[in-house]
Amino acid sequence: MTTAYREPEKGDPLVRLQRVVKTFHRGSEDLTVLDGLDFEIPTGSFEALMGPSGSGKSTLLNLIAGLDRPTAGKVLVAGNDLGAMNDGQLAAFRARHLGFIFQSYNLMPVLTAAENVELPLLLTRLPSAERKKRALIALRVVGLEDRVNHYPKQLSGGQEQRVAIARAIVNDPTILVADEPTGDLDRKSADAILDLLVRLNTEFKKTIVMVTHDPAAAERASVIRRMNKGVLQ
Amino acid sequence: MTLASIAVRNVWRNRFRALMTVLGVAVAVMAFVMLRTVITATNVAVTYAAQDRVATRHKVSFIMQLPRRYIDTVRAVPGVRVATWANWFGAKEPRHPNDFFASMAVDTDSFFEVYPEMSVAPADLARWREDRRGAIVGDVLANKMGWHQGDRVVLRGTIYPGDWEFTVDGIYRATQRSVDRSQFIFHYRYLNDSLPAARRDQIGWMLARIGDPSQSGAISRAIDAAFDVQDVQTTSMSERAMNLSFMGMMSGLFTAIDVISLVILGILGLLLGNTVAMGVRERTQEYGVLRALGFLPKHVTGFIMAEAAALGAFAGLAGLALSYPVVQQGLGRWIEENQGATIPYFRIEPATLALAFSLAVALSMLAAALPAWRASRLTVTEALRRLD
Ligand SMILES: Nc1ncnc2c1ncn2[C@@H]1O[C@H](COP(=O)(O)OP(=O)(O)O)[C@@H](O)[C@H]1O
Ligand SMILES: [Mg+2]
Repeated sequence: MTTAYREPEKGDPLVRLQRVVKTFHRGSEDLTVLDGLDFEIPTGSFEALMGPSGSGKSTLLNLIAGLDRPTAGKVLVAGNDLGAMNDGQLAAFRARHLGFIFQSYNLMPVLTAAENVELPLLLTRLPSAERKKRALIALRVVGLEDRVNHYPKQLSGGQEQRVAIARAIVNDPTILVADEPTGDLDRKSADAILDLLVRLNTEFKKTIVMVTHDPAAAERASVIRRMNKGVLQ
Repeated sequence: MTLASIAVRNVWRNRFRALMTVLGVAVAVMAFVMLRTVITATNVAVTYAAQDRVATRHKVSFIMQLPRRYIDTVRAVPGVRVATWANWFGAKEPRHPNDFFASMAVDTDSFFEVYPEMSVAPADLARWREDRRGAIVGDVLANKMGWHQGDRVVLRGTIYPGDWEFTVDGIYRATQRSVDRSQFIFHYRYLNDSLPAARRDQIGWMLARIGDPSQSGAISRAIDAAFDVQDVQTTSMSERAMNLSFMGMMSGLFTAIDVISLVILGILGLLLGNTVAMGVRERTQEYGVLRALGFLPKHVTGFIMAEAAALGAFAGLAGLALSYPVVQQGLGRWIEENQGATIPYFRIEPATLALAFSLAVALSMLAAALPAWRASRLTVTEALRRLD
């Protein structure tokens, strides 16, 4: 993809949503989840998105992450108008700019920790040795250098999520999106994950958008936004 | 690491299911190989059947005999280079009463001239011709019975009752695949001299080698015409023509085999398709993750097709591994030893192996095409939301 891109500076809006509408069609029914949402996320921010189930948090996150397009309005991320991109361009955008952290980790069970982390790099032209090196660095960042050759089923939930975070940062993304990253974890593991996210934000300057139900998790973010029926408060 | 290598590992993710599929397909592949080999093995008989050899028998039935003097008439027919005769003896080895083999009383001077593809060492042949009770036996039969040159052998007659004593003077080897390697060949004189006067000088059939194979039809007609005015008439036909007419009679069977082969391929495709479809359904969310990471629909399609190809390849190889001992060494050996007269050469052709393997891979990919296409058409969010 060849969209013009300049390194954003701290404080610049990295994400900008303008009058965003998102409507789902279910058979003959239309469900408008977001109805003219305006919203900005500055570069370097760590944002927590809270709100009741079904209020549209994941829908919003998917739009920011380039997994979906708005029905109307504009979604601008790192200078890219996501609504105007075709599927291939969006995929290239995600590969370049996005890091994904899912609630259920979503690791490939047949791959070791290192291989799971290496997976996104298969889309690059990096030689195998370089890919492996970068995967190891990412695993070191999340503190799993001693679990490199473990398979997901040999890891605890917290460790699995840390592998997933390593996978999310291995391509040095512009923005990390996390949909309830601690939802499946006990308090202690959840706190370790949150420590890690805070570190990625402060030390590695990653912009993070995290959906969460957990007030303790939200507390760790620099900004908490509450969403209700598709409206940010 | 590549997507393809991950796909290969994915095959074994559900070990039990993969194993059952591989075993099921392997059995189907083996059945397919077996049926193809029946056809190729039967074709060997026709391919190698001599067109320069004309067989003459009683017009009414194979089991009725001809007067021995008829051989002189055949030898006098223009175009006939050399002619011989043989009698069906139909004996059994008493210790192996269930093992069938062809035993024939022949004219020692001319028999092996008419059958050059049965090769006997000249010294053995010479010794045999001088030994009234001598026999030349096929290598497969000798191995099976544990006979060696010089052994005394007693056979029990079924058509000609009593115990008959022989000495194994030599072993013949096949220089062509169409040769039945389990025959027992001995002197016509030995048989004829032992018979009561009324049953003497009768022969089972005659065989003529002709100079010009393209004249086999005309020469066959000339032979039969020579006996038209006699009390016993004959039917003559080249070996090739005989085999072709046999294959013609078998054509219904071959069609049935082809249909069964197709049914087997269908079962094979369904087995593979079912396994691939279940895997794809279970992994839809993973395809969503791949897409989120930036992989494209074509990567997802390729990923699924690679897994299907790998599954087909594993299953195909297992099928070949199963075919060799069962079809070649088990069934094939048994057929060559016991049915050598009809199917002397029952071996799996390399082309059959290649065909069976390719079909396993191709059918697996064909069966995967629809699930793969469907999976690639899902939007990323649809795929990600597909929880269990
Ligand atoms: N792909 C979709 N098709 C139809 N309806 C959807 C789809 N995705 C989300 N929704 C609906 O949109 C609403 C908001 O969903 P979501 O953004 O997942 O909420 P949250 O993450 O805040 O719980 C829900 O009512 C949900 O059922
Ligand atoms: Mg949600």
